[in-house]
Amino acid sequence: MSLKGKRILIAKPGLDGHDVGAKIIALALRDAGADVIYTGLRKSPDYIARVAVDEDVDAVGLSMLSGSHKEIVADTVQCLEALDAADIKIFVGGTIPTDDHAGLIAAGVCGIYTAEMTIDDVLAAIDKELAA
Amino acid sequence: MSKGSRNPRREMSRALSRVANATVAETLETQAELPEQVLYRIGVTGAPGAGKSTLISRLAARRVERGAKVAVVAIDPTSPVSQGSILGDRIRMDAVSDDPNIFIRSIPSRRAHDGLADNTADLLWAMEGHGFDEVIVETVGVGQAEYSVRAIVDTVVLVLLPESGDAVQAMKAGLLEMADIYVVNKADLPGAELMAGDIAATAARQAAPEINGGDGWVPPVLQTSSRDAASFAALDAAIEAHRAWRQNRIDHDAVRRARSRYQVQGLIGRRAEELLETMPDADLDRSPKEIYEALLQQLATAPGEGET
Ligand SMILES: Nc1nc2c(ncn2[C@@H]2O[C@H](COP(=O)(O)OP(=O)(O)O)[C@@H](O)[C@H]2O)c(=O)[nH]1
Ligand SMILES: [Mg+2]
Repeated sequence: MSLKGKRILIAKPGLDGHDVGAKIIALALRDAGADVIYTGLRKSPDYIARVAVDEDVDAVGLSMLSGSHKEIVADTVQCLEALDAADIKIFVGGTIPTDDHAGLIAAGVCGIYTAEMTIDDVLAAIDKELAA
Repeated sequence: MSKGSRNPRREMSRALSRVANATVAETLETQAELPEQVLYRIGVTGAPGAGKSTLISRLAARRVERGAKVAVVAIDPTSPVSQGSILGDRIRMDAVSDDPNIFIRSIPSRRAHDGLADNTADLLWAMEGHGFDEVIVETVGVGQAEYSVRAIVDTVVLVLLPESGDAVQAMKAGLLEMADIYVVNKADLPGAELMAGDIAATAARQAAPEINGGDGWVPPVLQTSSRDAASFAALDAAIEAHRAWRQNRIDHDAVRRARSRYQVQGLIGRRAEELLETMPDADLDRSPKEIYEALLQQLATAPGEGET
């Protein structure tokens, strides 16, 4: 598996201040060959979408623990669309209750990676998604 | 995909990706004729941690205030092991990250070891014609970044830290003959004053005709601190002064030739890498001289011809 040449934005929306998970996934993606851009904490969907466009990433990973993931995903999808960048993929990670998964997929998320998954499984899933 | 995006910003962004991902053959297609250089190019170089990214965000904000549209190319190192990278400069540019008049693109250094990415020159050309007025390039700050950035930008800013070691290192490496503007950054820390004095004494020599064919520009030595907004106004003014001086005083033909030299060298280097990467083991088992000669023959064929 190689993510060589892929550009991925790891973004941290929402109000929580824990970005250990985001940093771990960023490093793992780097080690898998990707070019990773990290936004830092507490970014709005609008900010994230703008950065995704300027950096021309293949995917945006939203790292979320705060519980407002539904709104954040919906807003990010909308902001990307408004910037003519609906083709940029979105995946989410963090604590996402299973009940919410179907709704997020319907909203346009391409993958949901929870803390129960191993890093290798996450990387393999992202690789598959970006190869498609 | 979205070649003709209805979002002009996205269009420029995609154009940069196409250049970044291009093979040498594809790159050459775009370079039979270069666009006119409209973007003023400012290079910011200095060791990792010197505060380049922070300084660029302050500087860019200042220049936007005066009505400029500013693009930033920030280069971060590629891991030689995984070939991946963490592009972290942007975090320090947070304050200006969503300013509509500032465009920031993070790029990996890839194979290059000179503090730039091997396609930086191509990217700078690809930024022409998208409505921006200037571009600020942040180097990785290692190796011979100062020399390379000198070749492709108009004004070079060298960022140093107020630690005596930094000045001595810079002097030894000959860096104090390379920049147009010297900045002792983090001037809120002790030692900045002293260090600025040391550098000014050295930098004054740069203007003397017997050094480097000295050309009359006396590089200013400034002190900046992220805690002192006015210090960036002084840097902004120094860049404008250099720009004005440069307009009338430098040999523009010589600059153009130096740029072409650097760019062609980069293209040949990349092309050689492309060929060496696909060279069969059996061929690589020969002597360096034989490999070199085989490579030369392959280089003589235009890239793209007779390839699969
Ligand atoms: N004390 C102080 N710290 C600064 C200043 N400018 C930047 N820094 C800090 O220096 C570190 C490196 O800054 P950064 O801009 O990333 O440096 P770069 O690696 O050269 O791009 C960060 O922790 C900054 O917060 C300054 O003027 N004063
Ligand atoms: Mg930096």
